[in-house]
Amino acid sequence: MNAQDAVLETGYNSGIPPVNYLNIKTTLASWLLTKDHKRIAIMYLISVSVFFMIGGLFAATIRLELLTPASDLLETGTYNKVFTEHGIMMIFFFLIPSIPAVLGNFLIPIMIGAKDLALPRINLLSLYIYWTAGALALYGLMVGGVDTGWTFYTPYSTTFSNTYVMIVGLAIFINGFSSILTGLNFIVTIHTMRAPGMTWFRLPLFVWAHYAVSLVMILGTPVVAITVLLVAIERVSRVGIFDPSIGGDPILFQHLFWFYSHPAVYIMVLPGMGVVSELISNFSRKKIFGYEFIAFSSIAIAVFGFLVWGHHLFVSGQSPYAGMVFSFLTMVVAVPSAIKMFNWTATLYKGSVSFDTPMLYGLGFMGLFLIGGLTGLFLGSMGLDVHLTDTYFVVAHFHYVMVGGQVIAYLGGIHYWWPKMTGRMYSEFWGKISAMLVFVGFNLTFFPQFLLGYMGMPRRYAAYPPEFQVLNIFSTAGASVLGIGMLMPVIYLLHSLKFGKPAGDNPWMLPGLEWRTTSPPPLENFATPPVVTWEAYEFGEGSGLDLEEARRRAAAPATL
Amino acid sequence: MSTHGHSDKFVYHEPGLQHQFSDMEQQEESVSIGMWMFLAQEIMFFGGLFTAYLVFRSKYPMAFAAGSNHLDAFWGGLNTIVLIVSSLTMALTVYYAQKGNRNLQMLFIVLTMIFGATFLGVKAIEYNDKFHHGLVPIAGLNKRERGTAGAEQHPEGKPCWEVAEHGSEHEYVNPKGEFEWADCSLAKMAQDEGYLTTAEKTGYFANGELDGNKFRDKVRIFYYLYFVMTGLHALHMIIGLGLMAWLLWTAYRGYYNADYYMPVEMSGLYWHFVDIVWIFLFPLLYLLGRHFTHGGH
Repeated sequence: MNAQDAVLETGYNSGIPPVNYLNIKTTLASWLLTKDHKRIAIMYLISVSVFFMIGGLFAATIRLELLTPASDLLETGTYNKVFTEHGIMMIFFFLIPSIPAVLGNFLIPIMIGAKDLALPRINLLSLYIYWTAGALALYGLMVGGVDTGWTFYTPYSTTFSNTYVMIVGLAIFINGFSSILTGLNFIVTIHTMRAPGMTWFRLPLFVWAHYAVSLVMILGTPVVAITVLLVAIERVSRVGIFDPSIGGDPILFQHLFWFYSHPAVYIMVLPGMGVVSELISNFSRKKIFGYEFIAFSSIAIAVFGFLVWGHHLFVSGQSPYAGMVFSFLTMVVAVPSAIKMFNWTATLYKGSVSFDTPMLYGLGFMGLFLIGGLTGLFLGSMGLDVHLTDTYFVVAHFHYVMVGGQVIAYLGGIHYWWPKMTGRMYSEFWGKISAMLVFVGFNLTFFPQFLLGYMGMPRRYAAYPPEFQVLNIFSTAGASVLGIGMLMPVIYLLHSLKFGKPAGDNPWMLPGLEWRTTSPPPLENFATPPVVTWEAYEFGEGSGLDLEEARRRAAAPATL
Repeated sequence: MSTHGHSDKFVYHEPGLQHQFSDMEQQEESVSIGMWMFLAQEIMFFGGLFTAYLVFRSKYPMAFAAGSNHLDAFWGGLNTIVLIVSSLTMALTVYYAQKGNRNLQMLFIVLTMIFGATFLGVKAIEYNDKFHHGLVPIAGLNKRERGTAGAEQHPEGKPCWEVAEHGSEHEYVNPKGEFEWADCSLAKMAQDEGYLTTAEKTGYFANGELDGNKFRDKVRIFYYLYFVMTGLHALHMIIGLGLMAWLLWTAYRGYYNADYYMPVEMSGLYWHFVDIVWIFLFPLLYLLGRHFTHGGH
């Protein structure tokens, strides 16, 4: 009996199916020309990991430089390039594509019961655009880098910076279209490709989060694309609209830039929230509390996220009245985030919580995002922001949201769906160790930075007064722990590809559609097109799951 | 496997139906939503430029009026008509594709292409005019002209608000191909009648006097936006012509019929979108500020 038949007969298969999306064809061309969303997701996974490591090396360099008060490891000019490259690699080439292009790409069609994304060729095109942009950015980095900060503020970027702004700017312009096409594909897919019975309110919240994020990608990214294009024209031709010495307006640049880049921080956290909704509900084995509220709070974050960009301009010469409105709207956008936090907490209450590796990341997210979100309110208050602007408090805040939020959720999601993506189980022991190292290392790295910022240490300087050294040593020590914690999954996940136990179709015994196909899934995801008759996160009789099997395996977890 | 067509494995696929869809209706809906989403991002893409235009026009209305008055509303108006008619022929292309009338479909694709090319031709005439008058904002990209011996670049000693009377008489002298603008009479008028904006009160003046160079810089911003906006629009037109050429080829091969015409309809949406962008560009760039009598040719 082959594995597909085994699934049909028993509803459960514990081996690796002989034919799946990974081994159906194995030539290089079959990967590079594939239109299968799962293979594209795997190629994205490899690519974003490469950029994450490059960005991580820059981060390590920054932390080493800041170990001592003097600018001794790096010259100040080099330091400017290093933190700029860290930001550009991490934001444009890792964080923005991370969860959507890897996990979203892999899972959205499976979760809604489709054979593929609606526009597979566009999906492949977006990968190639991403590669083109990434190659260009790496080229710019190798010929000399860029030192403007990832924000490219004018007129420094258009007139004064003597680095490779053009190449890197062009890379970001091109990369934007990769993001736009991914978002476009998701929206179309979620609208038209849902399986029979998969109504909007039966969608996993991961899918809702990606719907919201796609709206931001489609409506925000083109604005930053045109802005970067204008910066490039202005830099080449010395004619433009941003440099005040030729009649331009640098504040206009900041408005246009943050009109995208503030919503972009929601691109960098909403997918993480989607992952965490999955983790919290599934590892509590309890229907998520307030499904509709979490779904619509994602949409609300996407909508309100477009109206708060001015809080980046409180000290830039923006009208104080505009500042008051933006400050108020910033408080408003905290409401849907808080709704999510409360609902997750309520889901845990009286749930049957298990502490597998993905859940450790999920709980870590809740703690870290709570701190990151609340310190965002500090910065959104106009008066307090004057004190905290451009200090390490800001750095700590957005790392708590982006690393503590998105990266933690990404790692949690990778662990959670790894058995589905590869058919193999990683080492749970090492997974837990790594999750805890990441959590501890992260807090040790970034919590001292809140204190440093509050005491007045400015960001983006290679040197600092000696009285800040102790906390900086803590931070660098923490970064080492964090780095080890992040490297460990690379090792044990790769190890599991060859030596991991076959995971079986449904290692966690969960009701979601992605757990009802083989691991790894076949080419078009399902042996027979699924029909959905159960609600999302349904753990009772209505889920159609083999509850006997679940109980049996819960009693004997060693069979995993 | 049976060769008699009774096999369960045999699934009838309509031509043009891709594997990930279960039927044509789903495919059409997907393609259609995808195209509208693409157009939404296009609106935001141009939106950044419209925002920049709005900001600078409200800051420096006189400089923008001066620059705008120098654009030729005749050519702009002609292009508007050409594009609107091309939208009609595009709509008829879609109509005849739906009807499955290959010949009329091809005829209207060709007509759409002719109108599109006409638009770009007129645009080339206008750009050429800017090139010859020193109105391309980037230094070095204008026509270089040393001029006859003794010719002066600016009428000697005249303040910038009085040079207009010399107007077209004076010779084009521009040895380095720079952006040139001498006449600031509109700013003078606004100053005399007291409706300069706050930004203009500092933006046009040096030492309390109207300053020709500072006024020129603001007019240059108008021409910069003019070239970026119309240039990006023209790029979209060129892409549209490429789409039309592809449609013509596929229509010639007989791809489209009453059951399968989505590529034609989607190209049509794109074409209409590019048309609509121009419908906004034309009044903003060519018409606003016409009521000021000064300037122009």
